[in-house]
Amino acid sequence: MSKPVKNTMERRDFISGALASLALWHTQPFAQAITTPTTTSPKLIWIVLRGALDSLETVIPAFDNGLAPLRPTIGLSPAALSQPLQHGFALHPSLKNLYRWYQDKHLLPIVAVGSGFEKRSHFDGQDYLETGLGSIDHDNGWLSRAISLKHKAAIAVAQSTPISLRGNDNVNTWYPSKLKHSSDDIYQSLQTMYQDDQPLLSKLNDGLKLRQLTSGQQLSKKNGRFSTLAKGCGQLMAAEQGPDCAMLELGGWDTHNNQNNRLAKQLTQLDDGLAALKTSLGKHWDNTAIVIATEFGRTAKENGTKGTDHGTASALLIAGGAIAGGRVLGQWPGLATHQLFNARDLNPTSNTFSWLATLLNQHWHIAPKDAAAVFNNVPLYKEQLVS
Amino acid sequence: MPVTPLGLIAANRFGYGANAQQLSVASKDPQTWLKQQLTSVNFDPSLASLDDMANYLVEYRVKKKEFKKKGMNFKRPKAHIEAARHLMIDSTVQAITQDNSVSWRLLDFFSNHFSVTAQGPKMSAIAATLERDAIGPNLLGRFDDMLMSVIKHPAMLIYLNNEQSVGNDSRIAKKRKGKGLNENLAREILELHTLGVNGGYAQQDVIALANGISGWGVQKPASDKTAGFLFRRAAHQPGKQSLLGTDYAQQGVAQGEAMLHALANYPATARFICTKLVSHFISDKPEPALVAKLEQRWHATQGNIKQVMYALIEAPESWLISAQKFKTPRDFVISSLRLLDVTPDNIKALSRALSMLGQQPFKAGSPAGYGDKAANWDGANALMARIDWAAAFARSRYAKNIDSAQTQLIAQLSTRNYTLVMRAESRQQSLTLALMSPEFQRR
Repeated sequence: MSKPVKNTMERRDFISGALASLALWHTQPFAQAITTPTTTSPKLIWIVLRGALDSLETVIPAFDNGLAPLRPTIGLSPAALSQPLQHGFALHPSLKNLYRWYQDKHLLPIVAVGSGFEKRSHFDGQDYLETGLGSIDHDNGWLSRAISLKHKAAIAVAQSTPISLRGNDNVNTWYPSKLKHSSDDIYQSLQTMYQDDQPLLSKLNDGLKLRQLTSGQQLSKKNGRFSTLAKGCGQLMAAEQGPDCAMLELGGWDTHNNQNNRLAKQLTQLDDGLAALKTSLGKHWDNTAIVIATEFGRTAKENGTKGTDHGTASALLIAGGAIAGGRVLGQWPGLATHQLFNARDLNPTSNTFSWLATLLNQHWHIAPKDAAAVFNNVPLYKEQLVS
Repeated sequence: MPVTPLGLIAANRFGYGANAQQLSVASKDPQTWLKQQLTSVNFDPSLASLDDMANYLVEYRVKKKEFKKKGMNFKRPKAHIEAARHLMIDSTVQAITQDNSVSWRLLDFFSNHFSVTAQGPKMSAIAATLERDAIGPNLLGRFDDMLMSVIKHPAMLIYLNNEQSVGNDSRIAKKRKGKGLNENLAREILELHTLGVNGGYAQQDVIALANGISGWGVQKPASDKTAGFLFRRAAHQPGKQSLLGTDYAQQGVAQGEAMLHALANYPATARFICTKLVSHFISDKPEPALVAKLEQRWHATQGNIKQVMYALIEAPESWLISAQKFKTPRDFVISSLRLLDVTPDNIKALSRALSMLGQQPFKAGSPAGYGDKAANWDGANALMARIDWAAAFARSRYAKNIDSAQTQLIAQLSTRNYTLVMRAESRQQSLTLALMSPEFQRR
């Protein structure tokens, strides 16, 4: 900068060079892939609840007499169970919007689901769930394999790509920024600088493209709130050329203590976010399937600190305008000690990956054999999930 | 002495960058220079202690109750919030301003290894004291001692709920309903702090360790004005425990202590931490031969961290010319401020910057800490935020300091990129480009 630009010609060349590289956007994989979908192409949204959701207080087995003795202080009173579901289950009272979806036949809870992971470590449990291969691979996520089969693009609402979407170039991350955007010439100069650095250049171009799609949405104090993220996610997907696939995540489910208050707050946040997601998806809602999963469940019995510890089976929630809901699926294993997994956790009676493969087959019309192969050849289920 | 490539690696790969004069010294003998940088870390001694913070909490609780009786709301006093904020940002400030930057990198490594999150009133007040009281003082000593100090520190005991954990057959559990064992801390000790998740333990080992450390709690500052470790015998699970095939028949606090000593010295622990160290300093894909060298030194010195760092510094594998690490946001911000020789006077702005880039100290939100690999930080959106922060920083009054950072930039940037930086239309743009150059983003 101490050296002034020598003459205007040189400077003009420099700028036109930068503009030329700006045109690179349109040859980037992301831009390519997002030109294909139409309003009728089915959308899939994968939401991971990090920290292990206590399904026994979410899709509550109110009919099971075994529940109350296991939960003497944290169990909800029968009076609080005002949202009955099929087969004697009840939906947690904080999930008000979801209950409306259930009544509209757009929510399909599946009980006693497990990924097959039995070690009760959050981080490995999440990695296992996101890998989807019955093992852990930090660079190869199930959703990334699924979008590869259909040549779709995906957006992860996160600061960095979660494992579910690693291993595919058609993936971008988006997270609202509180920072003031730089001037365009900075981005242009960096495009020039990154010419020989493909990783940085493609990230920069994708970043610029994303900003275009969200109209440069910036956030105020509510930054990071799930409903804001969900809203942005819906906007991105509903935008012209928006991706067909997205991933959201919400942490805070590790309720080792004070579970009642914490879970009510968490579920409210989830419920509000899902409502915002539906609104921002607009007409795309009818073609949307949302899958909400968690790494594992929690102990059937409450612990000594008014909470629950790491368990095994939890619930899987499938929702959206494309879903044939209004039912509760999954075989109930019971809560008597001999019915529990390791005499402590809800026993998984069906497999997360089989449900996901079944959904990929029905929603994205991926051939059964290929859908199974996404998850290392799990069996598909016969139940009809989409309407 | 001209700046050499190895001098640059010493300053940038192992530390947070250095000024021209230090770079010159480093270039003469990079390994010796680095070893001499492994000196103790000194925090700002004027800041609040754990006891101070605990007493703030007591005061807050008492006042809040009083106010509540009168139907009023008591707001946390500004002084308390300020004290906590200062504590949480202090290691970042010291990393920016002190010469021994490799030691501050090492502190950050272990602070992240034993990650605690400032959530809720208690943890927001005391999270940062773990780094100051338990990690810093043991940074260049034995891992064994660090582990013991960390696990007995109130911040860790409270963060992972062990202060509430009560052995199922303890006196307290027998007297009071609804009290019992909490496995949280025990599990994370095995999975995150020592053996690692593939270290060969099972659920019964988690329970054995949880029993062994049941009753490990925290003094109540309300009565004795201090907030240290407290062993509550009445909450301890009586009897022998079997952890990883070894019986522990000790009574009381000695049982958990013996377990932690053993865990610190398992080969799996050495492998797990040496792999993490190589991954932190050298490459996202740690070279097994390099990890083996660190492990060997670990075993030869009973887990002496300084010696293990020496092994890392001495290994030729650590000095490959090509950069293999993408800077984390924290490292990027610290090295940017160091490049411009900034003494941060606005700590609020500094925490905000780290927060916006996704790596605010003591906010990882998980006992696993922040991710340490490129994939955790190099997303498109993250890169845009980094550019925007760099541009904002370049608009500050520090931008002019780029004139005195020429030695570093010339040495570090390719000729092409240095030319681009120099012919930018303004000093601000020039600085933004320098900070966002591939050479400054990687190490």
